[in-house]
Formats: sequence, structure tokens, C-alpha cells
Amino acid sequence: MLLNRDMRDPALTQRLLLSMLALMLAWPIGHVAGVNPAALVEPANLRVVSSFVAGFWPLAHDSFFLGLLGDAVLQTLAIATVGTLLALLIAIPLAIGSTAALSVTAIGPSPSGLWRPALRQVLRALTLLLRGVPELVWALLFVRVFGLGPSAAVLALALTYGGMLAKVFGEILDSADRRPAKAILAAGGSRLDALMYGLLPVAAAELLSYTVYRWECALRAAVVMGLVGAGGLGQLMDQSMKAFNGGEIASILTAFLLLVLFADALSGLLRRWMANTRKDGRWRALNGWAFGLIAALACLASWRHIGLDLGALFGDRAGSDIARFLREFLPPAHDATLLAKIGSGAVETLATSLVGTALAALVGIALALPAAGRTGAVAKTLTRFVLNLLRAVPELVWATITVLAAGLGPFAGALALALHTGGVLGRLYAEALENAPPAAEAALKLSGAPRALAFLYGALPEVAPQWLAYTLYRWEINIRMAAVMGFVGAGGLGQLLYYELSLFRLDNACSVICAMLALALVVDQVSAILRRKMG
Amino acid sequence: MDLRISALRIDYGADQPGLAGVDLDIAAGERVAIIGPSGAGKTSLLRCLGTALRPSSGNIEIGRVQPWQISRAALRSLRSRIGTVHQAPPLPPRQRVVTATLAGRLGCWPAWKSLLSLLVPQDIAGARTALERVDLQDKLFERCDQLSGGQLQRVGIARVLYQAPALILADEPVSALDPSLADHTLAVLCDDARNRGATLIASLHAVELALARFPRIVGVRDGRIAFDKPASAVSEDDLKSLYASERVTPGEPGATHVVTPRVSATGLPCC
Repeated sequence: MLLNRDMRDPALTQRLLLSMLALMLAWPIGHVAGVNPAALVEPANLRVVSSFVAGFWPLAHDSFFLGLLGDAVLQTLAIATVGTLLALLIAIPLAIGSTAALSVTAIGPSPSGLWRPALRQVLRALTLLLRGVPELVWALLFVRVFGLGPSAAVLALALTYGGMLAKVFGEILDSADRRPAKAILAAGGSRLDALMYGLLPVAAAELLSYTVYRWECALRAAVVMGLVGAGGLGQLMDQSMKAFNGGEIASILTAFLLLVLFADALSGLLRRWMANTRKDGRWRALNGWAFGLIAALACLASWRHIGLDLGALFGDRAGSDIARFLREFLPPAHDATLLAKIGSGAVETLATSLVGTALAALVGIALALPAAGRTGAVAKTLTRFVLNLLRAVPELVWATITVLAAGLGPFAGALALALHTGGVLGRLYAEALENAPPAAEAALKLSGAPRALAFLYGALPEVAPQWLAYTLYRWEINIRMAAVMGFVGAGGLGQLLYYELSLFRLDNACSVICAMLALALVVDQVSAILRRKMG
Repeated sequence: MDLRISALRIDYGADQPGLAGVDLDIAAGERVAIIGPSGAGKTSLLRCLGTALRPSSGNIEIGRVQPWQISRAALRSLRSRIGTVHQAPPLPPRQRVVTATLAGRLGCWPAWKSLLSLLVPQDIAGARTALERVDLQDKLFERCDQLSGGQLQRVGIARVLYQAPALILADEPVSALDPSLADHTLAVLCDDARNRGATLIASLHAVELALARFPRIVGVRDGRIAFDKPASAVSEDDLKSLYASERVTPGEPGATHVVTPRVSATGLPCC
């Protein structure tokens, strides 16, 4: 009896149960997500995709189209720049107001009472709300309200990125060295003094670096928002897509990839530059002024290019416009039929994100092994290129293509998620593999284990926790992406939102947006719990 | 398994000593201890014998085959008959002791069995027997990161016991154990080799352990063999000149448990 108990693997029952649970859940999830690999090889779909891709060559290069393309690229750059600028204007007061580093109450008893900490909490909640709604949802909303064009994209970027910047700025300020600021506050200096002379000097470089990085992200987001009619490259792409003009799409994609590469390089250069100039006092001042001047000129030029009329937004008629808009938007509708639709949309979105992330993990693993240099240098270079390509094209752009290959519906969305996320995960997995200690795997090979098994027994256990953490983290992003995937016909909550907004039923749209927010928050919690359990 | 090496050289470069021409014949079933000061080339010699390191020049024959002349499949099958005990056992921190032990036989198990064993350990009884011999049977289902450095070193030995290879190479196999446990564990390794007729070659820092447990002693110094005698013939003078003017070094790095840093998912690019 004793022997028997010692011989039983205590983890066996749990493993069997978990495997069975996964298998039992896989079918319904796949069913809801409309997984249908057969659709990919259906002759009709194949014909559509192949004729579409065949049209890619030759690239469209007539002077009229190139003129349009050039305009669109400039507009995209301008949207990203002005959007980031406005986001900064929103983020700075939010971050300064909500950081605990400038708290007067934190240095001792103060006469100001309770309202300041309460204000901090309110500002934090506002930040959460701003960044919780994807910029694409804002963009879709603003396109409906203000009409087609770049203004919607700029405002959408300003709101979502304002929230994101505020959160990260707050974190940077909170984690910076607080002693200089505290000393100034304790000596009777104002909060502004403490900020300018105590806090900013220690945190400025990091704040600036993150802003540049966000600008780079904004550029990609600006392209994607164009797909719902908010100007720039994306809008041009949407038009070419509807005209089914492969050559134009290929040109746009090429321009987009070049733009992303350019932004990537520029942002990397700027951030390295800032890191280097931190040491030398004189150059630092000169560089700082030069950088500020260039940035200011870029913002000014972008502003003029877009012709954003903030006056109209905050003018005397605007107040009543916004009030009317808010009245239609609030309170959210909650009739039973709508709630049922939202429920099934949420389930579909969840299933799409799960299937997409699972497929992405498979793609990532398959590409990470060669990308980590395990099958020779040629394969490494080649797979790295493929990974970069997969990663550079945003999910929503992939979705416009997968919708052709797999038909309208959630499966196309899952495939699009899998393609983009597969590129991201492949790179992260490969980096983890390259950094993992190689000794365990090498030892197994030396005792005659076949390569594949040496990997499974020696290398996989070393990287598995990281791989899992990366995958869960991407799932959190994918649930948000899956929610907007419906804008291009890939099912879920996004499709419902698109539909309700097309009918100008703003109160219904508000409910759908609330559901998106709630779903994303739930997934964040589940993912955090899973990560803690498996970490 | 018998071994024959001649004129074996390993050149790492100017600043790192390697091997400067080693000749050594070891018959099947012999038990040999390699002793010598730090940096003498003990580990290099063992790594060469374990086909982990390709010599710069010279001849090496393991069980009558030259490992660098044969096909990959043949090399793999040769390697599956060589077991190595590492000074710092290379075990993934999250792997369970039972899996780490069973991994010793990946070279001879069919692929399906190895794959299945990742989920459901295929030979719990075998792993338990091997662990029992190093007094770790109660750690069978623990994770490696729950074990101390000395326990991990014994798991490494249990893996080789489970592998039951024809040639056992042990590089400082008991460096992380206290003296009495070290002696006991070394005795287990020696008994295993004697009972199965396997060849055992161990590098040791503790000279008295080497003299007590091994019939043949090879002294290595500056990449060459200083002496090669039966343990009973090793004199005080031999040892003195072997360890003479040993530079005072902090000592070879002990078997420390390598902990890989956990990487959190925060701080990643998010688009």
C-alpha cells in the first residue's frame, strides 16, 4: 500500500483533468470562433485570394496615384505627430495630478485635508477609462460625429494615448527618486517648484524617451484608423481594397512598411542620442535646444497639414454639439435583445482572441526555433525577415486580407490575430531561447539524446515560464484587438458596434463599448492570476 | 568500455591552459581518479573523453571507435553509452526530479516513450531505485529548484546511475557534499561501475578520497600527465610535486545552483 502510494505521480490526476478540460473546451471555442480550415483551401476562396495577390504585381506607380500616396504618407505622419502632441497635453496634467511623488500630505500633516488624495483617485480612474477604450473605437465614433478625415484620428489618438501616457508618466514619476522633490516641498516650496527643480531633472530623459516610443506606435495606429475612414494611408488602403486594386494595395503596403522602418530607426536613433547626451553638460544643453526646436517645427508643420480646427471643437456652437452627442450616447441602452446580442458578441470575441492567440503561439514556436539560429545562419536570417514582416503589418490590415481567404466571420479575425501576434511571439520566443542557459540541453545531447528530445527535456523547461508569460500578455492585447476586428467584418463585438454606429444608435453603441471594456478587464485579471500561478 | 588516447592536444589560446600532449590507456572496467591542481587540465581531459570537446590534434579512441571519424548516428549511439556527472549539474530549475532522472535514458528510449514521459513519467520505479541509491527517494516528485546544491549534485549522479552507461565520466562529482556524504556517494558510484563492469573516470579535488576509493591514480599538471600509478604506489613526494607552488587561487567555482532570472511580462513593447 505504502509502495503503491509512493509510486503514483501526485501530479498525474491534475494533469489528466487539465488536459481533458482543455480538450472539452477546445471544441466549443473553436466552434464559436468559426474555425474552418477547409475554407482556406476552398477553390472559390483560393481563386479570390490568388487573383488578389496576383494583382500585387506590378506595383501601382502612375504619377497620380503616387501623388495620392505621398499625400497620405504625409497625412499619416502629421496625424501621429499632432495626436501625440495633444495626448501630451492631456497626459501631463493627469500625470502630475495623480502622482504621489508631489504629494504634500506624504511629507507630513497638512492643512489641505482629504480632497487631494481623492482627486488623485478620480484622475487615476479617468486615466483608466481613457486608455481602456481602443483608439480605433474612438476613431469610429468620431468619424460618425465629425465626418471622414484625419480629425477623427487625431482626437482618437489624443484620448487613448493621453490615457496611456498619463499612466506610464505617473509610473515613471512615482518610481523616480523622490528625495529632491520632497526636500523642496518640506522647505516650503510650491508643488510647481518641486516638479520643475526636484522631479523633472531626474525623470525627464525617461519621460521623453517614452514619448518618442509612443509616437512610433501612434504612426502604426494612424494607419489602422484610416481603415475606418479617419484619413491617411489607411483610408487610401480602404478605398483600394474596396476597388480590389492589388497593385495599389501592394504600393500602399510597401509605403507603410518603409514608413514603419523609418519610424523605428528614427525613434531608436533619438532614444540612443538622448541616452548618450545625458552625460556631457554642454552638448546636452545644445542638443536639448536643437531637439526641442525640431520637434516644435515638426508639430507646427503637422498641425498646418491637417488643418485641425480646434476652434470649431471648442467654439460657441461646439458646446451644444457635444452636449447633444453626450445626451444621445448616455445612458447606455440595456434592453434584453441588445444584451443578448452583446452577450453572444462577447463570447465570439473571447473565442476569437483565444483561437488567435493559440494559433499565434504555434506560429511563434515554429518560427522561433530557426530564428534562434538552431538550423543554421541562412534559416535564421530568413525567418527573422518573415517574423519582421508578420509583425510590421497590423492585425487589422491582415484582417482585410484574411477576410478574403476565409470569408467574413470570426475565423478571419482569429487568423489575422495569429499572423501579427505570431510574428511578435516568434521574436520574443527566439530571444528567450537565445538567452536561456544552454547547459541542460547540451548535457542531454552529450548523453546521446536526439536533438528534438534534448530540446524538449533541456531547453523547453528553461524557457517555458517566459514563453507562457509572453503568450498571456499578448492574449491581453488580443482581446482588445479581437473586439475591434469586427470593423472589417471579422465578427464579435466590433461588428455589433460598427452596425449600431452605422444606424446612429449611440446609446446602444455605448453599451457595446462598456462590454468591450468589461471583457478586457476580466481577461486582464484572469491572465494575471494564471501568470501568478504558473510563475 | 576501453579508452586509448595519444598525443592529445587542446589549444584554447595563449591565456588559457589546455592539454599539451596526453597519452593514456584505460582498460574496460577500470576505475581511475584524476587529480591535480586547479587549471591543470582535468576538466578538459574529461570533456574530450566525453566527446564534448574536439581535440586540436592527437588521437582518441573510445570503445575502439574514433568519435570524430564516425557518422552522426553512430556518434549519438556512442554518446548514449557515455554518462557524465557534471560538477554543476545542468538541470532545468522547473523540471521535476523524476523527469530529470529519467532523461538519462533519452538516448536509448524510443521517441514515443520519451515524449509520453514528459506528461506521464514512464519509469517511476526505475527513477526511484536510482534516487534511493543516493538517498533522495523522498524528493522524487519535487521540482529541481526546491533542492539544495548538494541534493542537485546527487540527482545528477542518480541520472547517470539510471542511464547505466558503459563509461562514466565524473567531474568533481561530490564537490558540493559534506565529507561523509561525499565518501558514501563516491562509494555508490564505484560500486555501480564495479558491479556492471563499467569504466569509471573521476576528477577529484579531495586526494584522500581518490586514494581510498580508486585503484589507479593519474596526476595531471600543466596539461600533461605527471604520474600514472596504482593508488598504493602514490607517494607523499608525488603529491607534493604535483601540487607544488600551486598559485593561491580562490578555488574552482563550487557546484552552485544556477537560478535563471524570471522575466516578467511588463516592460515589453506593446504594439
